[in-house]
Amino acid sequence: MADQGLTSVPFLGGGKRPPKEKPGPLEYLRRWPLRVIVGATLVFLYLPLITLMVFSFNTSRRNVVWQGFTFDWYEKAFNNESLLQAFVNSLTIAFFCTVISVILGALSAVMLWRFRFPGKTVVEGSMALPIVVPEICMGVAMLVFFARVMPWPMGMPWPLNLGAITIAHISFAFPFVATVVRARLASFNRELEEAAKDLGASEWRTFWDVLVPHMQPGLIAGALLAFTLSLDDFVITFFTAGPDTITFPVKVYSMLRFSVTPEVNAASTILIVVTVILTAVGLQMQNNEPKDKKA
Amino acid sequence: MAKGKYLGGASRRSILQQFGAAAVGISFAGGLSACGGGGGGGPTVNFYNWDTYIGPTTLDDFKEATGTNVNMSLFATNDELFARLRAGNPGFDVIVPSNEFVTRMSQAQMLQELDHAKIPNIANLLPEFQDASFDPGRRYSMPYTWLVLGIGYNKDAMRAKGITVPDSWKYLFDDATFNQKIALLSESADLIRLSAKYLGHSVNGIPPAMLTQIEQMLIRQKPRVKQFHSDNGQDLLASGEVDIVLEYNGDIAQLMASEGGDKFDFVVPKEGTLINSDCLCIPVGAPNVDGAHAFINYLLDGEAGKKITEEILYPTPNRAARDLMPDSYKNNPVIFPSADLIAKSEYGAFEGDEKSRQYEEIFTRISAA
Amino acid sequence: MEQTWRQAKAAFAAIAVPPIAWLFLFFLVPLAVVWGYSLGENTGPVTIDVTGTFANYMRAVEPLYLEIFGKSLIVAGLTTLLCLIVGFPVALAIAFASPKTKAWLLLLIMLPFWTNLLIRTFALIAVLRENGYVNAILEWFWNNGSGVMTMVGLQPLGDFEPLTLLYNNTAVVIGLVYVHLPFMVLPLYSALDRMDRSLMEASLDLGAGHLRTIWSVVVPLAAPGIASGVLITFIPALGAYLTPDLLGGTDSQMIANVIERQFKRANDWPFGAALSFLLMYLTFIAIAVQAFVQRKSERRG
Repeated sequence: MADQGLTSVPFLGGGKRPPKEKPGPLEYLRRWPLRVIVGATLVFLYLPLITLMVFSFNTSRRNVVWQGFTFDWYEKAFNNESLLQAFVNSLTIAFFCTVISVILGALSAVMLWRFRFPGKTVVEGSMALPIVVPEICMGVAMLVFFARVMPWPMGMPWPLNLGAITIAHISFAFPFVATVVRARLASFNRELEEAAKDLGASEWRTFWDVLVPHMQPGLIAGALLAFTLSLDDFVITFFTAGPDTITFPVKVYSMLRFSVTPEVNAASTILIVVTVILTAVGLQMQNNEPKDKKA
Repeated sequence: MAKGKYLGGASRRSILQQFGAAAVGISFAGGLSACGGGGGGGPTVNFYNWDTYIGPTTLDDFKEATGTNVNMSLFATNDELFARLRAGNPGFDVIVPSNEFVTRMSQAQMLQELDHAKIPNIANLLPEFQDASFDPGRRYSMPYTWLVLGIGYNKDAMRAKGITVPDSWKYLFDDATFNQKIALLSESADLIRLSAKYLGHSVNGIPPAMLTQIEQMLIRQKPRVKQFHSDNGQDLLASGEVDIVLEYNGDIAQLMASEGGDKFDFVVPKEGTLINSDCLCIPVGAPNVDGAHAFINYLLDGEAGKKITEEILYPTPNRAARDLMPDSYKNNPVIFPSADLIAKSEYGAFEGDEKSRQYEEIFTRISAA
Repeated sequence: MEQTWRQAKAAFAAIAVPPIAWLFLFFLVPLAVVWGYSLGENTGPVTIDVTGTFANYMRAVEPLYLEIFGKSLIVAGLTTLLCLIVGFPVALAIAFASPKTKAWLLLLIMLPFWTNLLIRTFALIAVLRENGYVNAILEWFWNNGSGVMTMVGLQPLGDFEPLTLLYNNTAVVIGLVYVHLPFMVLPLYSALDRMDRSLMEASLDLGAGHLRTIWSVVVPLAAPGIASGVLITFIPALGAYLTPDLLGGTDSQMIANVIERQFKRANDWPFGAALSFLLMYLTFIAIAVQAFVQRKSERRG
């Protein structure tokens, strides 16, 4: 997550529009109806999270009543090496999953958007299957695949031992990226591409200089989706994880299928705070950078 | 199933204080530090366990005694354990299935026969646990703990309704007194078996006619039930969402020992109940069979068993460990239900996959009704 | 206009081979095994013979399971609709914000989803339960309102009855919206971001109100984003099992709960596979039809 915060933010901030001083007609965020909706949505999203953070300081183990203030759970979370290990595993998997899913997803989107080819409908439908397939069904498919069809060697050194899980994550994440990027491509003006080619740009340069910049919001949204999906996946990971490849969700599920512990709340709070700090730092760095890139 | 709620600071400490035992000073993390990276030189045993179902220093102590690392991973239900190992063992050496699953997994040839010669501590077990109906001759399993299902309840709510102790399954399965204040465990087999117990039948070999009767009874009861919970009944009780709940003795014992827990109590209904026993087994394909035997033997040691029991506070089948525990543990009626209630209670036997599928379909119909 | 693959074979190969190869090897092959199971029979606790039987599918289309399917469709549809209603304005606000605000807003929307689903769901329970915060806030207003009414000489309100917000179908829908909102916001944002503003400005200049401009200019332009958002919200919502499990009441089971129990508790992989594939056939057909219609209209346009 931390990595993601840093790498994605320069993208996010790299908009072309200079910030306006006066509210223009299209600055919807400055209009009260939208402010109310956005505000209400954020309250809806954050009220549970704030509860969670508050209860990470509760002396009682139960998340029911407030008993008193303590840092004990943070100490416990930091000392719980297997929790930290699981956490590092999750971030590593999510990182590789995001990078590869964005590449594969963008390629799929361009393929489906740009070309007409025999069997297109079948490819299109198959691309949607990973989104459709019930998690448990895909989990079982991956379990059987990595147990019988393509066994992933046991006892590989870190991070290679995470390979099976990462492969499974990419398989379900990249079609999400493809869907989002393809929706973005629909607004692309194909004449631009033609113009670039007419001016003598190669296929590759046209792709890189014309198409990719246009896809950028879709790539960001897709990357966020892939990262989120990978970081939060339990079912499919459970079926592909071995004794030495426990991830954060697998650990958390076994720890609190029955009831919440403030220790896990504490770990989540740390995660949230670290993300916010890294994003702030990233944005700050972004502002200090010269703005001539990616125009 | 209901493991693992015992660990965790405040409540555990208060249980220990209540029992007059010395507080365990070493953090749980200390116990895990040896296995964080999984390996770190020397042989390793991969232990697949329920959460917080081990003593704080047990794994370190074992490493000190034998030089073998223990790498512990966690699962949350027997179904998960079974599904995970079904296509092949990904490298686990010791697993902890419950009684019914010991039968199921041994029938599916997923378990190795134990070499009793390598487990001399078998002598520490109470006589009634030396053999088991679900594993004749203890060929595949060694008992680790046992537990019972019963009724957890809010004492004030009972008083308001003029009931002292809700000592019958009736209040959960066939009664409107606690309308919308009931929560049942969402385990098809447990619900059906306990309903049969309520109707005066054994939990095993339930005839088809009675299954229909049970289905109708539970469909009738459903509108009065707030939730089919996934084993967090103690939280529903504590937060006041429900007044009466089907849960394991351990969960309610923990709730009772935490702050404000004197509002709650637990009873094993007079009709008797289901007994479960979690067992140590070695799955087929275990990379370190010798280490697995040594580890199982170590867990059955009296002193090691005592440290585990102090932490998790489940009933132990280990006489040597029980003898080392204080009276406040040995005489706790929630942890050890009375002998005549135990006499009326039974293990749920594994009666074939067809039966579990049938139970599952009944539960699907009840939920859809 | 689309090109045919023959016009640029090298480019097509470079673009198409990696994703198709990946999809085939690491998704379709594993899935094919499970598809085989859906045509098989249990012959032992862990053995399945692929006999080509349709018995599992026959069982899956029994009224019991079809009703659960139908109910899941309704719940997922309602969830998607609510996500769209909430998500569209949010995405619009993000897309038209200044770059810096945009980054922060995107982060604010995404941040909750980097917290584990189970942890978040338990947190939601803490907020919604009978003595949770929503009820506490309502009670405060109720009691104060009651006080005000007494002051102005009216009858005070009765005792506050906490709302039952959990363990029913409403709670499931609320929970699903909570969980699936970014799946709607992200594609919408991606479609709306840096859209051609001249049309909107023209519409506003010509005297159309904001609502009308959004409805007749922005929504059509964002249509692909809406379609993609609906797809990736509706389908995962249809497959949700944890939310109905934890937030639902005794009648809130969804099809994914049934499927999960087949693979786990019932140890009936062939039947679980058949139920899963039924879901997939339906979606596959829907997507194929949609793609067909879309291509037809594109060709016409």
